[in-house]
Amino acid sequence: MSKKNNLSAVEHIKTSSDGLRGTLKESLDEGLTGALYEDDQSLIKFHGLYQQDDRDRREERSAKKLEWLYSFMIRLRLPGGFLTPEQWIGLHHVAGEHSTGTIKITTRQTVQLHGILKSEIKPTIQSFNILNLDSIAACGDVNRNVTCSAHPKESAIHEEVFHYADKISTMALPKTRAYYEIWLDEEKIADKNEEDPLYQDRYLPRKFKVGIAIPPNNDIDVLTNDVGLIAIIDNGELKGFNIAAGGGLSSTHGNPNTYARLATVLGFVNTENVLKAVYEVMTIQRDHGNRSDRKLARLKYTIDKFGVDAFRTELEKRCGFQLEEAKPYIFTDRKDHYGWKQNHEGKWSYSVFIENGRVLDDEKIALKTALLEIAKTGKANFRFTGNQNLILADIVEADKSIVEELLVKFGVIAHTDQAGALRKNAMACVAFNTCPLALAEAQRYLPSLIDKIEPLLKKHSLQNEEIILRMTGCPNGCGRSPAAEIGFVGTAYGQYNLHIGGDRVGERLNTKYKDSLNEEQILSALDELFAVYKAERTEGETFGDFSYRKWVQTT
Amino acid sequence: MIGEVRLKELHDFLNGYSKEELLWINGYLSGIVSNGLTNGSANGHETKPATTKKISLAFGTETGNSKKLATQLAAAAKKRGINVKLIGLDQYRLSDLSKEEYFFVVISTQGEGEPPASAKKFYDHIHDNELSLPNLKYSVLALGDSSYPMFCKTGEDVDLQFEKFGAKRVVPLRKCDVDYEVEAMEWFGNVLNVIESQSVENVPVLQQQPVKKATGKKYYRGTVLANINLNDRGSNKATYHVEIGCDETIEYEPGDTIGIVPQNRKDVVKKIFTLTGIDADKVVQTAKQSAPVLELLTQHLNICYLLSSTVKKYAAITQQEIPDIRMDLVDLIRIYPVKDAAQFEEIVKILMPIAPRLYSVSSSPAAHGENEVHITVARIQFLAEDEQRFGLCSEFLGDLPVGSAITFYVHKDKNFKLPAAEEDVIMIGPGTGVAPFRAFLAERDATGATGRNWFFFGEQHFTTDFLYQTEIQNYVQTGVLSKIDLAFSRDQQEKIYVQHRMQQKADELYNWINNGASVYVSGTKDPMSKDVENTLLQIIEEKGKKTNEEAKQYLEQLKKKGRYEKDVY
Repeated sequence: MSKKNNLSAVEHIKTSSDGLRGTLKESLDEGLTGALYEDDQSLIKFHGLYQQDDRDRREERSAKKLEWLYSFMIRLRLPGGFLTPEQWIGLHHVAGEHSTGTIKITTRQTVQLHGILKSEIKPTIQSFNILNLDSIAACGDVNRNVTCSAHPKESAIHEEVFHYADKISTMALPKTRAYYEIWLDEEKIADKNEEDPLYQDRYLPRKFKVGIAIPPNNDIDVLTNDVGLIAIIDNGELKGFNIAAGGGLSSTHGNPNTYARLATVLGFVNTENVLKAVYEVMTIQRDHGNRSDRKLARLKYTIDKFGVDAFRTELEKRCGFQLEEAKPYIFTDRKDHYGWKQNHEGKWSYSVFIENGRVLDDEKIALKTALLEIAKTGKANFRFTGNQNLILADIVEADKSIVEELLVKFGVIAHTDQAGALRKNAMACVAFNTCPLALAEAQRYLPSLIDKIEPLLKKHSLQNEEIILRMTGCPNGCGRSPAAEIGFVGTAYGQYNLHIGGDRVGERLNTKYKDSLNEEQILSALDELFAVYKAERTEGETFGDFSYRKWVQTT
Repeated sequence: MIGEVRLKELHDFLNGYSKEELLWINGYLSGIVSNGLTNGSANGHETKPATTKKISLAFGTETGNSKKLATQLAAAAKKRGINVKLIGLDQYRLSDLSKEEYFFVVISTQGEGEPPASAKKFYDHIHDNELSLPNLKYSVLALGDSSYPMFCKTGEDVDLQFEKFGAKRVVPLRKCDVDYEVEAMEWFGNVLNVIESQSVENVPVLQQQPVKKATGKKYYRGTVLANINLNDRGSNKATYHVEIGCDETIEYEPGDTIGIVPQNRKDVVKKIFTLTGIDADKVVQTAKQSAPVLELLTQHLNICYLLSSTVKKYAAITQQEIPDIRMDLVDLIRIYPVKDAAQFEEIVKILMPIAPRLYSVSSSPAAHGENEVHITVARIQFLAEDEQRFGLCSEFLGDLPVGSAITFYVHKDKNFKLPAAEEDVIMIGPGTGVAPFRAFLAERDATGATGRNWFFFGEQHFTTDFLYQTEIQNYVQTGVLSKIDLAFSRDQQEKIYVQHRMQQKADELYNWINNGASVYVSGTKDPMSKDVENTLLQIIEEKGKKTNEEAKQYLEQLKKKGRYEKDVY
């Protein structure tokens, strides 16, 4: 690809796409292949879809003189991860009709469906539209799904904070009507002004993630975002937010210019100024982010190139106001609080454990059916957590028993209670068979690996430790493996780098400890580490802090 | 390969020239070809007559870049009159390597110096085996990313292995970074120059072909080289692509069929022996031959779904009352047993020979070599007398493992043949009807025919039943297939068949036909070929502004001129 003005190929695709339209309509009509034309594969991301193929089938399909088995993944835009029960029922049916059927709760509080054929994309989006759901900007070089602490509020403030997720999402929506024209058959209005002051015609250099945390719970891993907002509440009043910038976990094996980074707290903004501040961080990234090398395009590299202070100065200049000094806050955990909880209004919620966020019916538990039945009662809202779990929320006292009956009937309560501590705090990205970037398995493998780690923990009497363990099939880190106490990062099929030393609350990344281990080596390494941890830790010291102290700090 | 009319002209022209004069003309013609002194072709296309060399361009791709690049290169070669066999290393038949003359590889490097997953089979094959490739001329284009340490390692490995095997590197290994387009074109330019410069020495001298008059059927003894179910998992169908190799040159052309006599299932024959007590080695004299009964029942005599007349004879010999239905021999014996082995001998003598089944060839000698023939076989299942029955031959072929011996003969079809190279061709071939058109396209591709090609294909489901999809995609990308229309009947609420696509394209279809295109229909007779013919008539009527009678006349005329041919069954 020729580099005009030293821009990457994707940049050219964006600017010549006529507002992200490209040749998507023609691609959909092309009956010779289940794939899109090449440039459209980049553009459809902005519409919330990825083109994928079943990697397990590649060899056999080729032998049969058939192309790869292409299908599409669609991800919804759900600021703060909230669905009404009616929307969940609709989602259940859309999943069954157009996709593999499994509803995947993502690591950023939304849902995605896999296995949608090219000819089914439009009907799927139209079905979602009827439910008032869309997938705009769920992927691509734009602001992605805005996350927000899901946890049942101890105070009334939560609802107020939650609205900021929606406000930010709306503020950062692309202005182009392409989505509506292509999928919803909206008429293209000639000469309509589609100016986009935020994104212009080139959008951002890379993806952009915004998250809002309400201390003391950091379930959304706020510092892993490009912009992390930490709600500051004083005397029952939302004062504003600490604003942190430059989080991003991906790196590339063998490329030392790439690295995982947690966001740096820049300062405090009040509620009046927060939207403007977020907006201007985006404009700085738009204007100064690296558009030649996509591997160095995330905001974290832009900030590090500027230097934090210079960045802050530029931000204040664009905002027209100064950032105040950051206000104190404390995070005490990142985990989901499973089971029944009651909030300040007396309403109940039940947090369900869903391994790797995968909602389906299998031989162990008919989770998908269970949730459908609960949704049909209309008695609970559906809120997704940053740990890929589900909170059945806002249940009034009178309805609690109805929901509980169903939870018991389908074994959901037993399933949640019986899962061990490690498993309940673990996370994996999708990887195979659909992700084209995966080097090794993640969600298909982690459950069985945990089966083998649990006896090791038991051996050292550590089975109740809520150690945060995460696995990703490649160093892009979609499953947030660099931000875990124990991280597995795939290097080749069946092999993982072992990372240790991350903290429990999400304020310190881990460090690579061993390279390219197979399962046997993983288990033996963990066995050793657990033994030393048990023997030498101080009271209450987490595995992550101990590992950091013992093995990382010293090197 | 030139059309009949031109061939006659050529023969007339050459009649009377001496051998020495013919040799001189041969050299003169090669000079013309290599120096491009011919006039442009009738259609104004830039292609020159193809060299007869076999040039393979193989790609190993992870993200699709190598494939896209290789396709572009193949199309560029075509414009220069060089025909290139484009193939993915995941689909490449490894046993072909020793027969290659020119082999060019475009391959990327992954991760820590690894080949793409799709090329792993090939990569392992050339590293795990000691091959000898003294006749091979090759070059490698390696794609990679210099920000990784093992830059282009896979390309280097492949280049080195071929060198070790004694092959001749005709263009040096070219390593490309992420910005590969310019360098790749340069490399390929060098490759094409090498091929063109070597073409003069390599044109074969006109040899006198001994004319053998065909006396009866010639049976070829072949070996199964490949046997692939083209339908994907979950399909309602199973369609086998069978490649048969032969030491002898197989005399056939695209449009011909081959006849195969299937063998009976061994387990069924065994059951018959058990039930009748006859000795497998007992030699029995039938009308046609004298052979051990094992051989007779396995290879020569039909024991499936016997004709009612045969069943009647069976009833007579065994003196039993048997209803007037068709049955398998094994079931007859089970329900209406023979008295003893001797009586069964009598039964053997009344059995009919196994009828050969005919299959349209789906290969082309120009493209696939003269020692190979391919067929496309649908696994037949049918309901007869409330019972699920299976096609004997399609079962036989479907189960035939690679390496099996197989005997066949060629049934020549005088009429279902490609027209002259510059004529346009319309092919309507749903399901296994694709077979002769694969042969047509391969032939036209290999010989550089300039006529346009339009293919109408239909099946049940796009994802599982698109027969030869990747080959067809390649033909579209390299321009061999000018137009393609697809109809997958069960992918939507309403059934869509090839004739619906014909109607949608009626204007252009009529245009092509009116301007000289030949129309071919291949596949099932009923109802497909009838529906297609009716649609053709409708289109001729409407677009040609003709009456119903006139349209019929028009079609008759096409038939008379050999421009409307059918291969239906």
